[in-house]
Amino acid sequence: MPVTLGLLLALSFVVSLLALAFLIWAIANRQITIDQHDAETVFEAGEVRGDAGEEAHPHRFDPVQAGIDQISARPVLVLIAAATFWLVAGSVFGLIASLKLHWPDWLDFAAPLTFGRMRTLHLNLVIYGWLSQAGVASVMWIIPRIFHTPSRRPQLIIWGALLWNIGVTLGAVAIARGWTDGEEWLEIPWQVDIFLAAGGACFIAPLIQTTRARQVHHIYVSGWYFLAAILWFPVLFVVANLPLYGGAQEATINWWFAHNVLGLWLTPLGVGAAYYFIPKIIGKPIYSYAVSLLGFWGLALFYSQVGIHHLIGGPVPTWLVTLSVVHSVMMFIPVIAVAINQHVTVAMNLWALRESIPLRFISFGAVMYTLASFQGSIEALRSVNTITHFTQYTVGHAHLGAYAFVSLVMFGAIYQILPRATGRVFPWPGLLKLHFWLVVIGFAIYFLALSIGGVLQGLAMLDATRPFRDSVEVVLPYLQARSVGGTLMTLGHLVFALNLLGLAFMTRDESASTVAAE
Amino acid sequence: MFGRKSKSDHPRPDENFEPYEEFSGIPMPVYWIAIALAAWGAFMLYDTGKDVTLAQDERVEERAVQISADQGEGGNLFVANCSTCHQPDGEGLRGAVPPLAGSEVLAAGPEIVARILLRGIDGPIRVGGDDFDGHMPSFASALNDDEISRIASYVTLTFGETDAKLDPKRVADLRHEVGDAGSFAGGAELATIVTSMPPQPPHPAPTAADAMTATVQDLVFAGRDDVWACASCHGDLGQGGENTPRLAGQPAKYLTKQLNDFRDGTRDNESMQIVAAGLSDAETAALGAYFATLRATSNASPNLSADLARGERLALQGDWSLGVPACFTCHGSSGFGVAPDFPALAAQHAPYTASQLAAWAGGGRQNSPLGLMSQISQALSSQDRRAVADYLASLPPVPAGRTASAQEGTSNAE
Repeated sequence: MPVTLGLLLALSFVVSLLALAFLIWAIANRQITIDQHDAETVFEAGEVRGDAGEEAHPHRFDPVQAGIDQISARPVLVLIAAATFWLVAGSVFGLIASLKLHWPDWLDFAAPLTFGRMRTLHLNLVIYGWLSQAGVASVMWIIPRIFHTPSRRPQLIIWGALLWNIGVTLGAVAIARGWTDGEEWLEIPWQVDIFLAAGGACFIAPLIQTTRARQVHHIYVSGWYFLAAILWFPVLFVVANLPLYGGAQEATINWWFAHNVLGLWLTPLGVGAAYYFIPKIIGKPIYSYAVSLLGFWGLALFYSQVGIHHLIGGPVPTWLVTLSVVHSVMMFIPVIAVAINQHVTVAMNLWALRESIPLRFISFGAVMYTLASFQGSIEALRSVNTITHFTQYTVGHAHLGAYAFVSLVMFGAIYQILPRATGRVFPWPGLLKLHFWLVVIGFAIYFLALSIGGVLQGLAMLDATRPFRDSVEVVLPYLQARSVGGTLMTLGHLVFALNLLGLAFMTRDESASTVAAE
Repeated sequence: MFGRKSKSDHPRPDENFEPYEEFSGIPMPVYWIAIALAAWGAFMLYDTGKDVTLAQDERVEERAVQISADQGEGGNLFVANCSTCHQPDGEGLRGAVPPLAGSEVLAAGPEIVARILLRGIDGPIRVGGDDFDGHMPSFASALNDDEISRIASYVTLTFGETDAKLDPKRVADLRHEVGDAGSFAGGAELATIVTSMPPQPPHPAPTAADAMTATVQDLVFAGRDDVWACASCHGDLGQGGENTPRLAGQPAKYLTKQLNDFRDGTRDNESMQIVAAGLSDAETAALGAYFATLRATSNASPNLSADLARGERLALQGDWSLGVPACFTCHGSSGFGVAPDFPALAAQHAPYTASQLAAWAGGGRQNSPLGLMSQISQALSSQDRRAVADYLASLPPVPAGRTASAQEGTSNAE
């Protein structure tokens, strides 16, 4: 009987891998034949080839002429404005929380200013306020462009943004007043979550309508990631917020959700945006369709089981944890696939990094996705987790994923979208570079400090012959370094907000062709 | 430099370029990595079968123990709450714990037993011709009406040969009647309701030491400023839990020395240093004496999953290949402690013992006589420290019988 369980797990794992391989093989072959067939059709009917350049170059499309950007612009701008507001607020709270770790008596006169609430506010505002809205803005911008059809119901999206921001505001007030659901990443009370769910529904409905009305046969890889994300996230969010669970079961659901928010919501938003903007800015195609299939379906198969590695050593069945560890390590496959597709394209066109600040943000973020995922796979191994669990190392890793990867991609995406959505240029191009260097240097300090400090902290805690206090004292200088890095990052965000304000209030309208040279 | 030069070579791409993928194949190394990872993953999952077997065996074993404890009405409750002192056969400990078997008290029926369980006994008592210094705790807060009725019925049936059953409702009435009467003042008070008892020794008049105990009790249960109540962490009976040590029955001078060491900074502990800073010499001495007289059933268990057999060998024989003497050489033949320097180890909580051994080994604790414990702990591996801690936690606690003054007398005589 127990042998059967191990055997059953191993067999179902192998079978699912074979099914995945078959799926990718089948889709890749079918797509190739159809595409060649389509191409032949185009050539046979190719009398128009000489006069219309558009037909001769199937990979060209003018979204401005098609009236697509014009319709997307308003909802996208609303989402970006709200996201930027929450980014600034969230990073100020994060900085306060960081300073409190080495100045424990600072700002101790009111309950909302205590560490527990500051940190929680930081987490919820940057996830739901900043990253989610910036990601949805990119989706709203890119989906109509790759589907060659204007966004449906743009007004509903604006209503959705309104509801979503009401939800985030109420959630922040609830957390500051000490009313939470008591689980990490799910602190916003479920009563308030109803606003977020309703707002999310107002994003999803127009996207599905736009998708159904698409004018293209082949869905570009960004489209898969975006469509999957907007289907996965509501399921995760609603299931995890149902007030039904208790005890170890609750913890399991909690970490299933918390890790999947990263992997099945923020990651597809970030990877999808990078997949669109990298070739778009460089003007060269992505390396391989088959590899992007492997990346996408690998993520879909492996990621959903990853979260339980947060409960290694906890009171959950061992096989469940092992399954999670195995799936965490299997994430190497989709990550390598994405890395091949994105980094090869950038590496063969390094000139573009000098010319385009947005590309600099996006490709830096894409490299960080690779690193964060590799680190995460290794961190999930029991032998490594023993040291890093319950230490600042985990915090460093979380920021490598959510900040250096997703946030940087979003900065780049916003810098790329805004001039095209408004027809204006940034008044101070130098400040874009300043923003880049502030957040990159700030993050480097932040990440290195927490990774080194976290390992030292973990080793101190593992050594029973050392008092617990040692583990606190050893990490102290690294916590101070983290505050320095965090300050630079927060300054970078203020510069980012300033750039957006400058674009809104300081420039005259200019033609789109000047925009391209920014 | 490279970028500047190539700027002209790479004209800015057309704004209308649309991203697409080329149809290159998947590179060969990706296949190899995927196959290697898949093989590793399948093996890992197959291997969890072992852990499942292990867990299942443990569960079956636990259930078997549970079933054997459940046999007989109230039997498991007796084993868990009474047998540590009164022994499983109810014979008690000669000179320390009165026997239940053949006792006049049990012959008086379950209602008397329930009254004793609710109130406890504090004072000299004569049972079966022998005198005992009675220190039985009250179980009023630890057991509910049903449990008390089951234990009372069980022990009277088993040891008193009276098959009268006690109704839980009656226990509720008794509980109300007893109110906050406090412990029976020894056999003398008990004899007023159990007429069949032989003549009882007189209850000693309160002494100055008892008066001090009264003020100390305030400290223990209510605390004072930064001296938070001892009982808030160490329990009402000084029984402790997990990493908070059991204090009940420790030699008085040992406890006093530890409190003084915390105060001087000779022993390190964030909480206890704050507490001890607010205590006077007289108070540390009185607290030591107070906890030395307390008795509580064992609430410790070998919960570190260590090798109990190895722990037993270390405790009883030591390991001379490591230069480690047997624990019991110094700490007494049953680990009950030897006043004034050697604390009781029996029934101490395993996490506490293990963490203290680790602290001796790492230099975090250095206040043992002649640095004995530092040398011993450094010689032990982490597994050994946990093994011996687990074994000691499995032992019965210091039995009743020696008051604080008697204990000091013994140590002086030695």
